[in-house]
Amino acid sequence: MTDRGEDTDVGSARFVAGRWPLFWLLLRGYLLMLPTLGIYRFWLTTQTRRFYWTNTLIGGEPLEYTGNALQLLVGFFFAVAFFLPLYIAFFYFATQGGDVAVIGYGVVGLLFWFMTGYALYRARDFRLSRTLWRGIRFDQRGSAWAYAARRFLWSLVVLATLGLAYPFMAASLWRYRWTHCFYGDRRFAFSGSWRTLAGPFYRLYFGLLILAVIAFIIAVTLEGRAWPWLVFGSLFLLCAFLGWYHYRARTLSRLYSCVTLGAARLDLRVRARILVGQVLAYGALALLWSILCFVGGIIVVILLLGEGAVASGLPDAADLARLARTGWAEVALVIGSYLGFVGGLALLGEVVFGYGYWALLARGARVSGLESLASVRAAAEDRSVVGEGLADALNIGAY
Amino acid sequence: MQGFEARFHDGVTARVEPVRLVPPLGGQGAIEILASDDASRDRWPVETLYTVPTRKGTLRLGSTARPAGARLEVTGKAEVQRLLDLLPGIGHRRTADRRRQLGVIGLATAALGSLIIAYVVGVPLLARNIVGLVPAAWEESLGATVAVQIEQALSQGAGFAVCDPDPQSLANRAIARFAHSVAAGTGTPFSPRISVIRSDIPNAFALPGGQAYYFSALLDRTSSADEFAGVLAHELGHVVYRHGLEGLVSTSATGLLIGFVLGDLTGLSIAGGLGSALIDTRFSREAEREADRFALDAARRLGFRPAGLADLLDRISEDDRMSRALALLSTHPLSEERRAALEDMDSGGETLSPAFTPIEWQAIKSMCAEAEGPRSSVSIGERPGSQSRQRDLVPLETAP
Repeated sequence: MTDRGEDTDVGSARFVAGRWPLFWLLLRGYLLMLPTLGIYRFWLTTQTRRFYWTNTLIGGEPLEYTGNALQLLVGFFFAVAFFLPLYIAFFYFATQGGDVAVIGYGVVGLLFWFMTGYALYRARDFRLSRTLWRGIRFDQRGSAWAYAARRFLWSLVVLATLGLAYPFMAASLWRYRWTHCFYGDRRFAFSGSWRTLAGPFYRLYFGLLILAVIAFIIAVTLEGRAWPWLVFGSLFLLCAFLGWYHYRARTLSRLYSCVTLGAARLDLRVRARILVGQVLAYGALALLWSILCFVGGIIVVILLLGEGAVASGLPDAADLARLARTGWAEVALVIGSYLGFVGGLALLGEVVFGYGYWALLARGARVSGLESLASVRAAAEDRSVVGEGLADALNIGAY
Repeated sequence: MQGFEARFHDGVTARVEPVRLVPPLGGQGAIEILASDDASRDRWPVETLYTVPTRKGTLRLGSTARPAGARLEVTGKAEVQRLLDLLPGIGHRRTADRRRQLGVIGLATAALGSLIIAYVVGVPLLARNIVGLVPAAWEESLGATVAVQIEQALSQGAGFAVCDPDPQSLANRAIARFAHSVAAGTGTPFSPRISVIRSDIPNAFALPGGQAYYFSALLDRTSSADEFAGVLAHELGHVVYRHGLEGLVSTSATGLLIGFVLGDLTGLSIAGGLGSALIDTRFSREAEREADRFALDAARRLGFRPAGLADLLDRISEDDRMSRALALLSTHPLSEERRAALEDMDSGGETLSPAFTPIEWQAIKSMCAEAEGPRSSVSIGERPGSQSRQRDLVPLETAP
């Protein structure tokens, strides 16, 4: 018999992987994207998800990601098919002046905003329906169109009320998402309402509003001097920064803690200081990486152009352009360094924020009543989802 | 000890069952799954087994003959290795699958690579064919729209100050006559219109549909009628070849292609912009060469000296360090390159006569000098946003 060690902490979720395996996985994937002209990104996304999924254990059983890269590739083609008419529309607007262009761009902008909701829902469906736990699949039912319409109309209300209606919107969307979410034949429920968010949200909203007014009044009374603006401006930004992450942590904990699955319920605790720590860590690493790239870039330019070339000190745009003109190899070098720099930042972002967020949710979660899930039965197969290309293409894909 | 301890999901219910696996002797047959009381729970034929990617030190098996979610999981590095040794077929299938994935990646990359090559080679052709389908009237209305945008951008909303608004003046009549004779016989559906505009930027450019501009700052530096004629002929070349519209088509197509490679179809990333700029530069350089050849052709037909264009470009580029610095991304080939090309083309030999009479040239030269209107306050180095739709002679980043 297996002596399952996790018996001691049945109910808690665990995340058992470190950051370094993810780092190497991403580094390898980013490098492979170069010779494959970016095609490899679908495989990298799949591997990254497998990393997160398989290292997450709930009640001792790991999640499994059953999706594959080809599905993502096909989804991307669907997204291209969606974007092609938009491209033609953009081409047409570009040739038109005045009202036609303004109205045209406005309509396309609204369409984008609407489709973002659709894409998010489909992406969630794609991931959930490819998540296996204890041999049973999750699923997101409901209609992505209905969700998109709901999100679109709510966002208009939020806009009209200067953001005050946001808790109602968030509660409504969370309820739609979770009440249409299934584990096998068992349906999730969401017990939250706008009151779940109201406290943290309105505290942040009015707190910052009052602070801004006070800072403004003080700065105006001490008019003519620059330092009040500087002092109160930075104070305000600091409060906004800390307040935002405090709010994020509180609402994430509360909203997720409203999710139940039959007799099983989720209980999540997210700490604001960890979120703030992630931002600071990323800032420091990104700065370090930028400095490294900058110094490395200068050295390369000097080596390629000779010492005399950069006699005036730092290389300027003209030197870079001269470098670029010397030949295709140098052009490739310039583009390569740019991609390297941006890729480095993206890699850091995933390792700090992507990993951090996942680990935060997985480690902060406690699930009670897991034993009640033994009676869940598999639902019918759902092979209709072709992918989440639209979300990727709209740049809103998450894990 | 016989068999392997494992956890079993039947893929029908969410139960987790501890089981014992007994692999078949010799790796053939079926893997026996025994429940805790040693009763047979299930049998999975070996040839239906596949591995599922999972974390290190764990083996996760599925069977194509069972529900999609059915799994067997064995943990422990040594155990996993021992089991794999007993089931050699699994390793082979894993290798085959990996090879298949590599094949797909290779195929997709090759397809995308040939798409890019076909694009870079074929888009000028493609753009030209698409442009051929666009009715001339449509291009003219596009030109009118672009003219409004460019005027606003270059004059900060004030509108262009035309140097000599009287179309019947000696200078304007001479320019119109020249434009007409350059366009005659080219089969262009457009009737070219040239306006001399008061501006501090030494530039000249053509818009889709036949409108071309010559700025006073460039006219100040234009020292002969041949130079003036060369520039005008070059701009009219852009009109005749419909380069403005062609640029718009190719820019749109390039954006789509770059989006395809980077996966960001909104085209908002810097890498996307940079890539588009690099590819589009190639096309617009080709367009400049084409317009140069057109100017040369016109010079031959009308009998003026074509090297004037190169002379003027030389003079402008001498005090134009910035435009050289940005040559890679500018829409224009370097003046040295163009000069060489123009002189190559300039075979000479024919009877050369100025395109304008001395009196006409004098009138043109003084078009902007007479008027007292306020000078346009455009700052040097400014560039209109819709760069791809206009075809200018020299880059606008011009240091004084």
